[in-house]
Amino acid sequence: MKEPNIIVCAKQIPDPEAPFSNVTVDVENKEVLVDAPDVISPYDENALEAAIRIKEEMGGKITVLSMGRKVSDTVLRKSLAAGADSLILLEDPEFDRLQSQSVGYVLSRAIEKIGEYDLILTGRQAGDWDSGQVGLILGELLGIPSISLARSVKVKDGSVLVEKTVPVGYEVVEADLPAVVTVSNEVGELRYVARTKLLGLLRRPMVIPKWGRKELSLEAEKLKTVGLIELSPPADMRRECVFIEGPTAEDMAGKLFSVFKELR
Amino acid sequence: MTPEREIFWMISEAWLFYAVAALALCVFVVGVAAHLSVWLKSVPKSKVPFSGQALKRTILDVFLGLRVLKGEVAAGIMHALIFWGFVILTVGTTLLLVHEHLVAYLVGKSHIVFELSMEIGGLALLAGIIWALVRRYVQRVSRLERVAEDAVVPLWLLLVVGSGFVLEGVRLASQQPPWDHWSFAGSWAASLVSISTAQSTYPYLWWGHALLSLGFIAVIPFTKLFHLLGAPAAYYFHHSAEGFRQTSAPSQELGEAPLDLDEAALSLGETPLVLGDVAFYDACMRCGRCVQACPSTGAGEPFSTRDFIQAALHALWQEHSSVGDIRFLTKDHPIDTLVPWYCTTCAACLEVCPVYGATFEAVSKKRAMLILEGTGVPDLMNQSLERLFNYENPWIASKRERSAWAEGLDIPALTRGEKEGQLCYFVGCTTSFDARAQEIAKSFSRILKHAGVSFGILGQKEPCCGDIARVVGEVGLFQEEMENCLSLFDDYGIEEVVTSSPHCFHTFLNEYSERRFGVRHYALVLRELIADGRITFKKPVNLTVTYHDPCYLGRHNRIFEEPRKVIRAIPGVQLIEMRHYGPDSLCCGGGGGRVWQGPEVRGEARMGEIRIKEAHETGAEILVTACPLCLTMLEDALKTLGLDRELKIMDLNELVFAALKQEANPVGQSVLPADHPVHP
Amino acid sequence: MNEVLLLVESKGGLLDNKTLELIRGGSDLAKDMGLDASAVVVGHETSSLAESAASYGLTKIYRLEHPLLEGFQPDAWVGALEWLCKQITPRLLIISHSFVGKEVAPRLASRLNVELTADCISLRVDPEDGLLVRSKPIYGGNAIAILKVEGIPQIVTVRKNAFEPMEPVAAKSEVVEMVPSLDESVLRVKSLKTVEEEVVELDKANVVIAGGRGIVEKEDFELLIALGKAMSKAHGNVMIGCSRPVVDKCWMSSDHQVGLTGSMIAPDAYIAVGISGAIQHLVGMIRSKKIITINTDPGCNMFKVSDYGIVADYKDILPALLKKLEERS
Repeated sequence: MKEPNIIVCAKQIPDPEAPFSNVTVDVENKEVLVDAPDVISPYDENALEAAIRIKEEMGGKITVLSMGRKVSDTVLRKSLAAGADSLILLEDPEFDRLQSQSVGYVLSRAIEKIGEYDLILTGRQAGDWDSGQVGLILGELLGIPSISLARSVKVKDGSVLVEKTVPVGYEVVEADLPAVVTVSNEVGELRYVARTKLLGLLRRPMVIPKWGRKELSLEAEKLKTVGLIELSPPADMRRECVFIEGPTAEDMAGKLFSVFKELR
Repeated sequence: MTPEREIFWMISEAWLFYAVAALALCVFVVGVAAHLSVWLKSVPKSKVPFSGQALKRTILDVFLGLRVLKGEVAAGIMHALIFWGFVILTVGTTLLLVHEHLVAYLVGKSHIVFELSMEIGGLALLAGIIWALVRRYVQRVSRLERVAEDAVVPLWLLLVVGSGFVLEGVRLASQQPPWDHWSFAGSWAASLVSISTAQSTYPYLWWGHALLSLGFIAVIPFTKLFHLLGAPAAYYFHHSAEGFRQTSAPSQELGEAPLDLDEAALSLGETPLVLGDVAFYDACMRCGRCVQACPSTGAGEPFSTRDFIQAALHALWQEHSSVGDIRFLTKDHPIDTLVPWYCTTCAACLEVCPVYGATFEAVSKKRAMLILEGTGVPDLMNQSLERLFNYENPWIASKRERSAWAEGLDIPALTRGEKEGQLCYFVGCTTSFDARAQEIAKSFSRILKHAGVSFGILGQKEPCCGDIARVVGEVGLFQEEMENCLSLFDDYGIEEVVTSSPHCFHTFLNEYSERRFGVRHYALVLRELIADGRITFKKPVNLTVTYHDPCYLGRHNRIFEEPRKVIRAIPGVQLIEMRHYGPDSLCCGGGGGRVWQGPEVRGEARMGEIRIKEAHETGAEILVTACPLCLTMLEDALKTLGLDRELKIMDLNELVFAALKQEANPVGQSVLPADHPVHP
Repeated sequence: MNEVLLLVESKGGLLDNKTLELIRGGSDLAKDMGLDASAVVVGHETSSLAESAASYGLTKIYRLEHPLLEGFQPDAWVGALEWLCKQITPRLLIISHSFVGKEVAPRLASRLNVELTADCISLRVDPEDGLLVRSKPIYGGNAIAILKVEGIPQIVTVRKNAFEPMEPVAAKSEVVEMVPSLDESVLRVKSLKTVEEEVVELDKANVVIAGGRGIVEKEDFELLIALGKAMSKAHGNVMIGCSRPVVDKCWMSSDHQVGLTGSMIAPDAYIAVGISGAIQHLVGMIRSKKIITINTDPGCNMFKVSDYGIVADYKDILPALLKKLEERS
C-alpha cells in the first residue's frame, strides 16, 4: 500500500502530574488554576508515539492538529522534534471551553480541509477533563470506523490492526482505512526529545498554519460552549483518623488485629 | 681478535633482507596510518597544543610504568620486563644498523657491552612473556581474557625472542668466538649443538628469525600491540587536557581544555569525541582492571567497561575506515541500548586504567547519542528529564516544596542585587526534596548558624546545577541549566557557594565553562570552621564510625582527607576504615543518573548493599557519608538488608551537629537527636 | 418523550451491579421529573436477562433483539440504540461509565446531535428548565464541574457507586421486544480474536490490601500477599492492589491499579501500605467502608482520609500482624 498519511490530534493542557497543592479552584471565575507549565496531554503523546512507529515501519507523513483558544506552538513543536512532519494549530477565541461535540466538529472540519488521510490517532482521554469522547465523535462526523483503547496499532494493506483492551483481556480487531483509533498508554511512552533538538526546532523559522473559525468556515451555532454552572473544590474526603500507637511493632500489630476483628 | 660481529655472516642475499624489511616497514606504516586516519576522521577539529609539561609526564609514565604497577605489583613487574626487554632489543637492533651502515663502532668493549645488554634484554623479554602467558593461561587471572589474539601475540613474540636465542646459539656454535661467554644464554644454547649442524642450519634459522621479527613489526598496528604507539599518545592527550581542573577560586577564563569545537556539533547536542578519547580506545589492551574495579560489574549487572570500549572502538573503525576494523583478531561485542544506562560515572575505571581511560566519559557520549535519537531512553529517565526541564528538579512536578525543609529554621534568603558578595548555600535537588536527605540541609544550616557564618539560600528560586542532565547525555539541557544558574548567581551577586552534594560541587567546579564564584563542598567548609576554631567540641562522643568516600568528592576531586579530619576532630570518635576506602571506595550506585534509570536497569545485587555489608564488617556503629545520594541509596540498602538495628547511617553534618549539641554522653547511648527520622 | 431510559448491562448472563445502581438513580430522577423510567436490554436472545430487569419497578423493559447484537460489537449496539432512541425519543438517557458506556455513549450522542457529559458523580434536575444538572470531577479530581446541557435526550454516563443499587420489587415491568433495522453493513470493525488474560477484578474484593511507592522492594509484596491469605479466612475475598508507581515499575499489572486510571472500588476495608495518597489514587478507593493506612510519613495525605493509621515501617508491622493472625487461627 502507499505510505500512510496519519493525523494525530493532540491537546495542550496544564501538566496533569502537578501535585494538587499546585491546583487552585477559582470558584468565582469558574476556573481551575494550575501552577504548572502546559504540556501535550499524555495519552496524545502515546498516540504520537504510535504514529511515529508506523511511520518508521511504513513511511508516510504525520500531521499534528491541536485546538484551543490559544495554542502554544512551543509546546506543540515537541511533536515535530519527536518525528511528526507538520503541525497545524486550530486557534480562535471562540474555541474556548467547547463541548466535546463541538470540539469534534472543529477537528473534523480541519481534517476535511487537510483532505487526504489514512489514519487518525488520538489519546483515549484528555488529561484535564478525562471525557474520552472526541476520538469516537470524529469517527461519527467523518463517517469512518472508530476503535478505542488501543494497546498497539499496526497498518497493513489498507487496513488498521488494533489490539484493544477489553474486560476479559484483549481483543484483536481490524478495520478498513481511513479509520480513527484512540490510544492508551500501553502503546508506549513517547520517545525522549533532546533539548537541543527541540531548541533547534524552536529557533528555526517555520510557518505554522493557524486556522480559526474563518479559515475552517465554521458555523457559529455549532460552536457550543460548556454550560458550566459552578466549579467547586473536591468534596471533603477527610476522615477522623484514629492513630494506633504502641511501644513495639508487636503491640501495634495486636491493636490493628483487634480492629480487623471489628470489620467482620 | 677484536670482539665484533659480522651481520650478514653466511647470508648471501642481504638485499633480500632489506627488501623484506622495507616491505614490513611499509605494512607497519600503512597500518599506523590507518589508525591515524580513523582518529582524525572521528574527531572534529581538535587542536592539542604542545605542552612541555605534558610531554615530560608522558615520558615518565611510559618509562617508569607506574600506572601499570599501580595496585598490581606482579603485573607491573611482568610488564616492566617485557617493556625493557623490548626497548633494549629494539635499541640494540637500531644501533646495529647504525654500526652496519654509518659508523662501525660496536667493536671491542662496545661490542661486549652490546652483546651483554642484548642478552639481558632478551632474557628479560623472555621471562616477561612467559610470566604473562602463565598469568593468563595457567593462573587464569580472572580479569584477563583468553581470546585468540591473547595467545597469538605473546606466542609470536616468544617465538621471535626464542628463535633469536636459538639463532645466537647456532651462530656461536659455528663461529665459536672467544668472547661468547658474555652472551651466556646463547653460549649455553650453543653447547647443545654440533658445529656442522650449526653451520648448515644457520641461514635457515637466520631467515626464520628475520621473517618472524619483521612480520611481528608489520602486524603491530593490526593487533593490540598498537598500544606501543597508542598508549604514549593516550598519556600525552591525558596530560595535556589535565590543565582544566580548576582550583576552588573563581575563574574568568574558559575552564575547558583548549579545544575548538564545532558550534554546529554542539548545537546538535552531540558531545564530539576528542583525540584523547580515540587514543584511549585504541590503546586499550583489554587488561580488565576496569572490569575488576567497576561496581556495576561487581553487582552482577550486564555492564562491562571493557566490552563497551571495545565496541566503541570497533564502531569507530566501522564508520571511518574504508576497510573496516583492521585488527583482524578482534571480536565484535554488540552493546544493547540499555547497557550504557548502568554506568554510575564513579570513575573507578579511570582510577585503575593504565592509560588513564575514562570509560564513564565514553558512556556519557554514547548516552548523548541515545538521547538525541530518543527511543533508547528508559521511561523513568524520560519523565525525570521532563520534570527537570519543567520544574528544575527530577523528583516532583513542583518547585514550591523546594525550601520546605527550611520551615521553622529561620534561614535567611538571599536577596537580589546585593553589592557585597553573599555566601550561598546551594542545597541541591535531592537534599531539597528527599525526606531523609533534607536532614543534611537542616544540620548544616544549624552548624553554620552555630558558628556564626553569614549565609543564605535561594529557596524556591534555586535551580538545578544541571549535573544529572550532563551525566545522562542531555547536553542541551545541561547547557540551559548552566546558563540559568550562572545568570541567577550573577543576579544575586553570589560570590561564594557551598553545596550539599558533591555532584553539584563537581559540576560547578569542573564542568561549568565559566564561573564567577568560588565553590566548595560542605566538608571543606566544616574542615575550615574546625581549623579556625569556630566550631569546637566540648564533650567527647564515644562512637566508632566508618566513612564512605563519595565518588564525586573522593575519586573525582581527590578530597579524601578533609572529611576524615572533620571526623577525627570530634573527640572520642574512632574512625575505622572499610576494606575499600579512599580512591578505592565502592560506589553506592546513585551516580550517573542511576536513581532515575528505572526498574529495567537492575542487577543481581545492589551496589549499595555491597557497600553496607563492608561497613557492617568493620563493626562500626555509624556509617558516615557526605553526599545526599549516597545517604539515600545506602539507607535504602540498609533497610533491604535488614541491618538497620546494627548499623546507623549519618551524614557528616548530622554527626558534627549531634556532637555539638549533645549534653551528656554515656558510652553506647545513641547520639542522634530525638526527632531524628532514623527508626528506633 | 416521557421517559428516562437506562442501558442495562450484564455479566455472565446476569444483571450487572452497575445497572442496579442506574435503575435506582434513573427511577428517582424520573419521579422528580414526573416521567416513566425504562430500561433497554441489548443483545440476542436475552429474554431471561430482560425478565430479571423487569423485577425492579421500571415501567418498561425494551428488548432490542437482533443476531448482530450478540456479544458486544460497538457498531451494532450504537446503531441499534440510535434506532431505538429515534423511535421512542427518551427525555433522559443514562448509561454507566463502563467499558460499554465509554464506547457507546459518545457515538450515540453524536448521532442524536446532543452533548454527552461523561463520568458524572451526581445528577439532579433543575426544576426551572427541567434540564439535568450534572456533576463531574475534572483535573484528576481536583475540582468538580457542575454543568447543564440543552437538548433532548439529555445523555450522561455515570460513575460506579454514584447511586445505591436498587432492591427488587414484587411487581413485574412490561417487556417489549423491538427489532432494529440492522444489517451487516453497519459493522465497520471486525473482531479477529479475543484473548483472555488473568484479570484481577478488584471490585469483587471484600478487602483490598494495596502497596504504593513506599514499598521498597518488589519482593515485599509477598508480605502483602501473605497478609491477604491470612485475612481471607475470616474476611472473605481479599485481593492485592497497588497505586500507579507500582504499575509503572512493572511490579504489578495494571489490573491491580486502584485510582482514576485504574479501578474504582469500595470494599469493606482498604489497607494502604506505603501509599502517600495522591488524589488520582484517592478517587479510586475513597468510598471504601473502612480505610486503614500504614506509612512512615505522619503527614501524608492518606492518613487524612483514613479511619485508622499506624505511623511505622510496614516491614515491622506486617510480619507482626501476620504472626498475630496465625496465632489466633
